[in-house]
Amino acid sequence: MDYVDLAFVLMGSVALLSVAFTFLAIRTRDLMNAVIFSSVQSIAYALIYFLLMAPDIVLVYIAVSVGIYPLILILLIKKVGRLEVTG
Amino acid sequence: MLRDAVFTTLLIIVIIALTYLTYSGGLGDLPPQDIRLIAKNYLNLTYNRDAYWLWTASPEAVSAIVWDYRGLDTLFETAVFYGAILAALTVFRGVAKLPDTAGSAGLSLVVKRSTALVTLAILTVATSTALHGHLTPGGGFQGGAIASIAPLLLLVVFGRRFFTDNRITYGKLLTLRNISLSLLGISTLTILLYGLLINASGYIFQNQAKATSPLSYPSHILDVPLGGTIFFLNLFEFLAVTSGFTLVFTILLSSEEILSKEFEGEDHGY
Repeated sequence: MDYVDLAFVLMGSVALLSVAFTFLAIRTRDLMNAVIFSSVQSIAYALIYFLLMAPDIVLVYIAVSVGIYPLILILLIKKVGRLEVTG
Repeated sequence: MLRDAVFTTLLIIVIIALTYLTYSGGLGDLPPQDIRLIAKNYLNLTYNRDAYWLWTASPEAVSAIVWDYRGLDTLFETAVFYGAILAALTVFRGVAKLPDTAGSAGLSLVVKRSTALVTLAILTVATSTALHGHLTPGGGFQGGAIASIAPLLLLVVFGRRFFTDNRITYGKLLTLRNISLSLLGISTLTILLYGLLINASGYIFQNQAKATSPLSYPSHILDVPLGGTIFFLNLFEFLAVTSGFTLVFTILLSSEEILSKEFEGEDHGY
C-alpha cells in the first residue's frame, strides 16, 4: 500500500466518522451536545481537506468551524434554552 | 429505533459505494497523472525567475494568486468583511463603549494559567501563519481567524472585563482596525504614487517590475524572500481581521443587561 492508497483509506474512514457525528448532531435533543458533535464533524472535514492537499483551507476552516461558529451558536443557545422542545 | 438503524445503514452503504467508485477510478485518475494546463500557467507565472516581468516573487503560489493575480477580488472581499463588522458595530453603537456591569472574576487559577500558555501558542501560530503567508500555506485572513480565538478564550476564562481592565479599549481596537485597513489600501497604491513622483510608469496593485514599468517592491530582504507587496498585504489583513473579530466578540460576549438596552422598544423611550 503506497501513500496515495493510505491517504484515500484515511479519507474514507474520516468521512464515515463525520457521517456518524452528523447523525448524532441531528438526533440529539441537547443543543449543546449538537454543537460539540458538529465541531467533531468539522474536524473530520478539516482532516479531509488536509489529505486533499489544501492546507490553506484547513487553517481558516479549523479556526472558523471549531472556534468562531460554535461560539455564535452557544451564545444563541444561551438565549433560547438548551433543550429542544418537540411537538 | 428500527427506522434510525435502517437509515444509518443505508447512509453508510451509500458512502462506502461512493468511496469504492472514486477509489477504483470512476472519476479518472486521482490525483491526476499530468499537470493540468491551468496549474502549468500558474506555476510559470508565480515563481518563475526566468520570466522576471511576470513573476510575483512569492514561492507560495496560492498566496501569489490570491493577492497578486486576483488582488482586486481579495480587496473587495476584505471590503465586505469590513462592512459586515461595521454593520455589527453600528447596531450596537450605543452600548459598545460601556464597560461591562458584571465584574466576573473568571475561572480558577489552574484554568487561567493553562489558558495563558495556550493563548501565547495561539498567537504565535497565528502570527507565523500570517507572516509566512508568502512562503507556506496561510495568509492574512487565515492568521487573523486563528488569532481571534485568543481574545475569545481570554474573555471567557479571565472574565468579561479583562479587556477594559487591561486598557484594551473599544477605541484602540477600532483605531488599530482602521489604520491597518488604510495601510492595506496604501500598500496597493505605493508603486503608482512613487511612479508619479519620479515620473516613471507604475500600476495599482503592482508588485514586481513589469516590461512597461521598472518599479518594484523588494523581492528579498536580508536574503529572505519577502514576496513584495504580498508580505505587507498579509500583515495588514491579519491586523484588520484580528481587531475586527475581537471587537465583535467583546460586544457579543457582554452582559445581557447591556445588550438588551439596544433592543428596548418604544415603551422604553425610543
